[in-house]
Amino acid sequence: MGFIWFYIRKMFTLFKCEVLVLPSRVALLVFVVALLLVPVFTQDPYLLWVLILTAIFSIFAASWDLLSGFTGQVNFGHALFFGVAAYTSGLINVYAKVPNFLSIPLAAIAGVLTGLIVGIPCLRLRGTYLALTTLAFPIILTGLIFALPEITGGELGISGLDRLSSSRVYDYYITIVLMLVLTTVMWKITDSNTGILLHAIREDELAVRAGGINTTRYKLLAFCLSGFFAGIAGGLYAHIMRTVGPSTLEVALSFQVIIWSVFGGIVSIYGPVAGVFILFPLAEFLRILPRARMLVFAVLVLLTLIYMPEGLIPWIRNKIEKECPRCKVRSIATRKNCRICAASLD
Amino acid sequence: MAESLLEIVGLGKSFGGLHVTNNVSFQLNQHEIVGLIGPNGAGKTTLLRLIMGILKPSFGSIRFKGKNISGLKTWDIVNLGIACTFQNMRPFRRLPIIANVMVSCMCPRAMKRGEWVKRIEAKAMDALEFAGISDMALEKASTLSQGDLKRLEIARAIGTEPELLLLDEPFGGLSPLETDLMAKSIKRLHKGGRFGRLHSEGPSMIIVEHKLQQLMKIADRILALSFGTLIADGKPDEVVQNPHVIEAYFGEGGI
Repeated sequence: MGFIWFYIRKMFTLFKCEVLVLPSRVALLVFVVALLLVPVFTQDPYLLWVLILTAIFSIFAASWDLLSGFTGQVNFGHALFFGVAAYTSGLINVYAKVPNFLSIPLAAIAGVLTGLIVGIPCLRLRGTYLALTTLAFPIILTGLIFALPEITGGELGISGLDRLSSSRVYDYYITIVLMLVLTTVMWKITDSNTGILLHAIREDELAVRAGGINTTRYKLLAFCLSGFFAGIAGGLYAHIMRTVGPSTLEVALSFQVIIWSVFGGIVSIYGPVAGVFILFPLAEFLRILPRARMLVFAVLVLLTLIYMPEGLIPWIRNKIEKECPRCKVRSIATRKNCRICAASLD
Repeated sequence: MAESLLEIVGLGKSFGGLHVTNNVSFQLNQHEIVGLIGPNGAGKTTLLRLIMGILKPSFGSIRFKGKNISGLKTWDIVNLGIACTFQNMRPFRRLPIIANVMVSCMCPRAMKRGEWVKRIEAKAMDALEFAGISDMALEKASTLSQGDLKRLEIARAIGTEPELLLLDEPFGGLSPLETDLMAKSIKRLHKGGRFGRLHSEGPSMIIVEHKLQQLMKIADRILALSFGTLIADGKPDEVVQNPHVIEAYFGEGGI
């Protein structure tokens, strides 16, 4: 028995010294626990519905950040990955009767292939030209969908997909757990050595090449990874809505994801996630003021961007935490000395 | 006679009607430091960029260790063993300094050669230690001064463990004291050996430089370019006495 207690005590000490010392980590913990406990307190279908969509869009926004924030390949047509995946899972579920636990992974694979197809012609482009080219892809695909109404359903889209699971609460848990796992995976990717390379490609591609790195490979990798995660989001969305229409490819959705990410703070996977979790429910609950809805939304986003150009979450994080000038470890802002090396924080 | 490492034959590059580099041919032997001089716009940087594969040559060939490398991608050339620094430094400003060096330590060549230590961070730290900026490893690269940025460029270049190092104005914008220190570092690097976990066999070097006094101290041979053409090739003392070189620098009549 002794060693079990030893490990429990060790875990507790780790928890106390690594999680409880930083307000941002505590906030993350509270957020995760609160998300997992929502159905215990309320099973209001509308609230769960909003939270399910929020979770799906936060995977989507984080995948945009992986491609455009980290790698600097600014993508104005990110809805392409979402729409292709949604249509893939819709088509194979309705026509080939593929069950949903297979159609969502297949949708993710379709996202990867789309990433390759978009990535290869976009390799030579950067900046504004890349953004405009990527903007064109979803518009082309929308045209194709309208041109083939007998397969794609045209403007009405495909309906009658399988439900994701038998009840709303299960739907909720599946999407929330997937969201937590996938965003953690994305955060780990950006935190690894590959993440450093992606960062460096955004800063100066020629210098990375002169360091002996095959930048083409890494840019394609970023496109494929982003397509994979956006594809999972698209597949989930198709099965939650049970209908897939051209709205999944809309330019508005591409720009919505950019607004969410920039609001939350790009180049940090948690920023876009937080951005979606603030803005999407806000836009949804503002439906009680139908006339002022978009106005309130726009004013809020504008004010945030004027006063917090880095985005909301990095701004808050810099207010409640300070970085040690010597060892670069973060400590809570109320401390006078660094919690690791005791250097003065002022 | 040592085996020639780099062999350039009839190399030329033209942008439209402008011949930036014109029929340049020379050989570089192993363990040799070659200085490349010439007035502004003579095509020195273009020549380095042609060797690195950043620009494609219009005609002529570049052979490195007997292998034709003209037309290869930059990263393939780096993985064969050529590294370069840039004249206007190109650090990844928003990344920590150590991450700047880790990028070049992650190239396939460096990963293959780290026989007994595979840790990228450790290797990058040794490169920084050689360059003398390891105490600032965690700072953002945007906080570095001009001289330290030059050192960062060198740390990044030796991270790939090159056999041929192309330095583009390593003394540009440095104070006399910093210039001396940098010249010493370059000499030490040329001698070779082990710098922590980094192994250096003493790379050959091509140094583009305007500070001739410093360059003459460290270079074995000097090439002079003018309007894209090679006008002199020889020992440092001979080249600076060469009337063509004086004319290229100071105009007809000279001093």
